[in-house]
Amino acid sequence: MASQAKRLSLEEAVGLIKNGDQVWTGGWTVVRRPMGLVYEMIRQGKRNLYICANPGGVEIDLLIGAGCVYLGETNYIGHEVFGHPYCFRRATENQQEPGYIHDDWTVQTGALRIVAGSMGLPFLPTMSLKGSDIALPQNDSLKELRGKDPKLPRQKLISIKDPFWEGGDVFLVPALRPDVCLIHVQEVGEKGTVRILGGAFLDYFAALASKLVIVSAERIVPEETLLERPELNAIPGFTVDVTVELPYGAHPTALYGEYDNDPWWFRDYLAASRERESFQRWLSEWVLGVQGHTGYIEKLGNRRLELIRTSPEFGYNPSIRRRTDKLEDVA
Amino acid sequence: MKENGYSRLEMMAIAGARMIRNGEVVLVGTGLPLVSTLLAKHTHAPDSIVVMEAGLYDSNPQSLPFCVADARGVCGTPWVGTAFNLMGQFLQKGMVDTGFLGGAQVDRYGNLNSTCIGDYSRPTKRFEGSGGACDIAVMAGRTIIIMAHEKKRFVEKVDFLTSPGWKVHRYPDGEPVFRDEIGMGGGPYAVVSTLGVMKFDESSREMHVDSFYEGLGVTPEEIVNNTGFEIGVREAKPLASPTEEELRVLRTIVDPEGIFMKY
Repeated sequence: MASQAKRLSLEEAVGLIKNGDQVWTGGWTVVRRPMGLVYEMIRQGKRNLYICANPGGVEIDLLIGAGCVYLGETNYIGHEVFGHPYCFRRATENQQEPGYIHDDWTVQTGALRIVAGSMGLPFLPTMSLKGSDIALPQNDSLKELRGKDPKLPRQKLISIKDPFWEGGDVFLVPALRPDVCLIHVQEVGEKGTVRILGGAFLDYFAALASKLVIVSAERIVPEETLLERPELNAIPGFTVDVTVELPYGAHPTALYGEYDNDPWWFRDYLAASRERESFQRWLSEWVLGVQGHTGYIEKLGNRRLELIRTSPEFGYNPSIRRRTDKLEDVA
Repeated sequence: MKENGYSRLEMMAIAGARMIRNGEVVLVGTGLPLVSTLLAKHTHAPDSIVVMEAGLYDSNPQSLPFCVADARGVCGTPWVGTAFNLMGQFLQKGMVDTGFLGGAQVDRYGNLNSTCIGDYSRPTKRFEGSGGACDIAVMAGRTIIIMAHEKKRFVEKVDFLTSPGWKVHRYPDGEPVFRDEIGMGGGPYAVVSTLGVMKFDESSREMHVDSFYEGLGVTPEEIVNNTGFEIGVREAKPLASPTEEELRVLRTIVDPEGIFMKY
């Protein structure tokens, strides 16, 4: 934990992430994901990552497809109604591309696990999971690794009798303690105060629970400008270690008040990610073959960025059409 | 796909909407549950409180949210929380009357699978995962399930029991038990499909046909033929066709882009 966040370049910030780290990605499915940071992780060739988003979205599908991840604990990986997570599917179905292990949770239990991490607690109780196959020991995908991998809790969960009240059964679920937390937001202060508009999801808890917190933002602003409405600030600066100024750092996911989901990106990515070869070509063209984040934004072009810009009145773009099968091409 | 001026998908969304009671707190998932709930809110249930697992409370969107975290759901919301508030507090504390879910497979007890087909450790088909569906199925006051009616979806046994219905898998041995035997409340109220509405017998807890979309030419026999387990039709009755108002609101206010209705 830093008393004052350090401002770094994208390359320097991502350089702090080590192979094998447990990484939390902020945001929610196709909303406010730390995409610029994730693209750079792929460029730097990170390996053996242990990801724990709640829920995961396009950023996790990309990391799995790029071969960066060996283990994932999430309740969901997908692109909402844009389409299916083909890289995740290939990594789990029929042993097509082995090397990735997945263990399932739920929104509530994943939330409690990161909240426990943020409280310095080893676990929290939950009333959820009863009667579900998710809780059964036979379905614990990580049982072979438990007790060997120090980053993993020794058990997935246990059941106890409530010792204080009515005596019913409750599950205890272990804390998540990520090495790294990656978050993208609208504004961060020079000292690390984080302002999030339009839904903070679990990012506050994840920042407290994680050892290294990297926040990328559309703008790094003087702290004074964030003092006016402190209730809009979602995360206190002393939990943030590194800040990165990264305009369009959540693209193609939506960032409230800045830009909406980019339906053209999702259309093209979903077509490309269906097969391993076309996914690799897409990755070369859009991630590995561009000159960093600046090159990526230039490749998108001003016209695309203009079309996804949000209206100040709504926080989203009311005229954008979201059916990818009916999209008109952008010249 | 349109027969008699409306589609099975539209009838399903409308049948789902009719189940929402005015004034209740409804926790909705993305997709058809959201379409049905917003349709209810724009018609007979204006005072229902729509909450979404990503943290939205009493959402009154002017445009259909793409997912439960979409800025469209934030617009006009009196309070925004987190998944910890919604799922760890509201839902767990029993403040959610109705949960509204979709799924890939359902069995006669309303158990839902949104995880995988085949063996969990080596699936032949992998889905996105539970999201909040398991939490909602365990802890909501009642759940409404909405999904396409096909034999491969209405199955004798779900490949993976993601979200518990009436007869569930006990921890840790996985033995089938009725949910009240392990201290669970709530449970599935109805399954709304592209052919009709199914409910559950009060004593056996097994699914039966409650109503069918007669206006679209559906018969109880068609439901039986598209269901992968034995299903009772003794109580089956025709469901009223959509009103002009229901269709107007669905097409012009709730899903004018056809994102879920696929116009």
